[in-house]
Amino acid sequence: MKTLQVTFLLNGFEKTIVSAPNRTLLDVLRDDLNLTGAKDSCGGEGECGACTVIVDDKAINACMILIGQVQGCAVETIEGLAENGQLHPLQRAFVEAGAVQCGYCTPGAILAAKALLLENPHPSDVEIRDGLSGNLCRCTGYVKIVEAVRLAAAEMRHA
Amino acid sequence: MPETITIGKSELRKDAWKKVTGAARYVADIPLRDVYYGAIVRSSVHYGHLKSIDTQTAEQVAGVHKVVTAADVPGLPVFGALVHDQPVLAVDTIHHWGQPVAIVIADTKEIAAQAAQLVLVTVEPILPILDPVEAVELNASKLHADGNLLAQFEIKDGDVELGFAEADVILEETFSLPLVSPAYLETETSVAQWNSDGSLTVWVSSQHPFVDQAEIAAALDIPAEKVRVKSGVIGGAFGGKEDSSISIMASLAAWVVQGTVKLVNSRQESFWAHPKRHPAKIYLKLGAKNDGTFIALKAKAFVDTGAFASYGPAVGIILTETLAGSYHVPNIELDTLVVYTNGPLAGAMRGFGSPQSHFAIESMVDMVAHQLGLSAIEVRKKNILREGDQLFTGVIVNQSANSLPLALSHAENILREFEMIEAAPGKVAGSGMALVMQSMGLGAKVPDDSTHQMIWMPDGKVDLYLGAPDMGQGLIMTAEQIAAEALELPFESVSTVDLDTWNSPNGNVTCASRMTYMVGNALVDAAEQLKSQMLVQASRMMNRPLDTLSYKSGNVITSDGGKIPVSEIISRAADDGIEIQSKATFSFPYPDETTPQNLPIGMPHVLFCFGAQIARVEVDPELGKVDITHLTAIHDVGRVISRKGVEGQIEGGMAMGLGYALFENMNLKANGQWVDSFTEYLIPTFNDMPLNFRNIILEIPEESGPYGAKGIGEVTVPPTAPAIANAVYNAIGVRATALPLSPEDLAKL
Repeated sequence: MKTLQVTFLLNGFEKTIVSAPNRTLLDVLRDDLNLTGAKDSCGGEGECGACTVIVDDKAINACMILIGQVQGCAVETIEGLAENGQLHPLQRAFVEAGAVQCGYCTPGAILAAKALLLENPHPSDVEIRDGLSGNLCRCTGYVKIVEAVRLAAAEMRHA
Repeated sequence: MPETITIGKSELRKDAWKKVTGAARYVADIPLRDVYYGAIVRSSVHYGHLKSIDTQTAEQVAGVHKVVTAADVPGLPVFGALVHDQPVLAVDTIHHWGQPVAIVIADTKEIAAQAAQLVLVTVEPILPILDPVEAVELNASKLHADGNLLAQFEIKDGDVELGFAEADVILEETFSLPLVSPAYLETETSVAQWNSDGSLTVWVSSQHPFVDQAEIAAALDIPAEKVRVKSGVIGGAFGGKEDSSISIMASLAAWVVQGTVKLVNSRQESFWAHPKRHPAKIYLKLGAKNDGTFIALKAKAFVDTGAFASYGPAVGIILTETLAGSYHVPNIELDTLVVYTNGPLAGAMRGFGSPQSHFAIESMVDMVAHQLGLSAIEVRKKNILREGDQLFTGVIVNQSANSLPLALSHAENILREFEMIEAAPGKVAGSGMALVMQSMGLGAKVPDDSTHQMIWMPDGKVDLYLGAPDMGQGLIMTAEQIAAEALELPFESVSTVDLDTWNSPNGNVTCASRMTYMVGNALVDAAEQLKSQMLVQASRMMNRPLDTLSYKSGNVITSDGGKIPVSEIISRAADDGIEIQSKATFSFPYPDETTPQNLPIGMPHVLFCFGAQIARVEVDPELGKVDITHLTAIHDVGRVISRKGVEGQIEGGMAMGLGYALFENMNLKANGQWVDSFTEYLIPTFNDMPLNFRNIILEIPEESGPYGAKGIGEVTVPPTAPAIANAVYNAIGVRATALPLSPEDLAKL
């Protein structure tokens, strides 16, 4: 089968992979690179947000883009968020606010929140809800996720 | 309340660190070498005779190792929690759409999926039965050997006809409840590894690893000790992961090819073939006096368990026991039929029959109040259960009923507050409420022992071996808080070892709102044993009489004021080959003297959680669109163990109740197939939750609970939908008798 060579920045480091062209970024992250923080839940329909990663500062569903589309892009996954063992303020806020239950939606929700805060460092609760509306959670009722994003936003503004 | 070390506080969940960094390993994430991938071939009819399965073409595809069918099952071809009626792979008959027929095992998931298309399944279709009332008609075809009536529960108390004769008002209504999915984000997944010593290691995402172990062993006809079941991190369960189907199939596949096989259900497969909440039709007739006092209640419920029994009979029991809600009604006649159809199987799901019954009774209570010109609060105040009341099952309600008047008085204030708020332009506002009674436990005569273990390590820290999995709700944190409190240690000193049936005691199934209660009680007992052992070892080493020693906060204290850290004693004991560990079993109490014995197995339940929820809605009267602007939950938890944990359970439960009220419906589409994706099956998103959300937590200690705690997992779901339906009625005067409350229906009504 025809293969494709793709070079992109993955969590700050240049990465070149060879893959069949019909595979998604999610397939490559999970199956080739053992980065399993991005999850499949809806079956590749872009409905649940569990596979959310950041590509060039935008939150995207990794199940919805083919691997060739990230050529030359900067891809951030949940595994790259903590720096030198220090959790990102969003990660810490999710823990502290009690926003994590089963945790399956958590990596995607954190990355969607990170992309939101890049664009809007001072979001209202309504803006947080809008920004994360593509991320389903079945455990928390979302209350504590909104709280976590609000807390992290405040901390990041003061940092 | 007395000062505590950790009880009642908001500790940080230790598993959360791994979950926020992506390091948590759910079953599909576990790195293993040389894994084969399975693809399940499923039926594409609702009902039919299975004539043949031709695997030849598929098996010739390069990279395919084997196509497994029912003929490859060496042991028991069927399994099931209560009734052995669910085939591992279809035998002779197709009972529902999406039923597993064969498993293709291949080198990659792509090859497996392609080859699965080449398996030729020949089925002679039969007209399916998809309605539970039709299923029990005399001439209905028999879906299972013993007919279509799986279970029936008839209960009478007092004289219902005399009661109705005395009533000033009698209302009758039939309520319809849809098929809904637990829709946890992690679909069912299992990986099974064949080991060269003839054993299997099976990773599961399951509420009952020890049941999986037994059912896998039975299907493969090998001793249970040859099957080692390990729990992955669980991505939500809500009752739906009390089904061993996927782990039995993965094990069978691994056994046949003598390798490692990974099976991951797609979202579509999860919709088709994993347990759901039972659809139901509930007829109620409620009679009351002019002052609002209920005098007679008659009910007939048809509960659709779908193709297989799963937990259907047990769900039927709880549905029946909660048909009168939180109210005392002197004359009662209830009849619940749990019925097989060709629908997707229904089983355990958060609330377990009680969301269905509560939609009916809590709607009916408001209808009676309206008819009599009484308020929702007045009519409830007249009829709520009181401590010492005898239920129609014969059970005496304990002090937990004291939460009901408290909840009502909060609800009264909140309703008043909500009613002051003006509606947005073009909208009509309304507020409504519902009470809830949810049982804890599996019911009388069902064996319910839960065993857990703790080991005191030489560094002074304690390892817990919990025998039941945390499905994401926070059981581990709760258990660690209780263990820390009981051992007078900081929360950080206690951690939990991953569940593995070869190392962990059997803690029974994680279900039935009873984990805090069962695990907590067992750990309090185990902690006492651990402290006694500590003192015995200290006495031996120090050569001092036992009664001159005491334990305090991680130290052994001598009568002359000496203080020895436990780590020293444990290390020395370890040198002598002695481990300081204890194991304790808690059995759910059904005292003979107070538990009625004349009821079917699983009946009655004897401990209850109560609460109330209040909703404010704004309805667009032309479009029928319902916005929920406010939700307030009032729940009695006995005693808060983990504050944020309890709040999270309530918030998540209400979201699930909100989905049940407004969107969720796994109905048949025009093409004759079930709704089977998140595109059509809508669960609540961030924007569907009200901006104004409030939690009021009551703490009326449960005397038999650890530190007074009891359950919270399920009680949060049942009152949401009727509270919303009652609010909608109060807004636009339209009484919906079916869920979900769709805009089309409300505009039509």
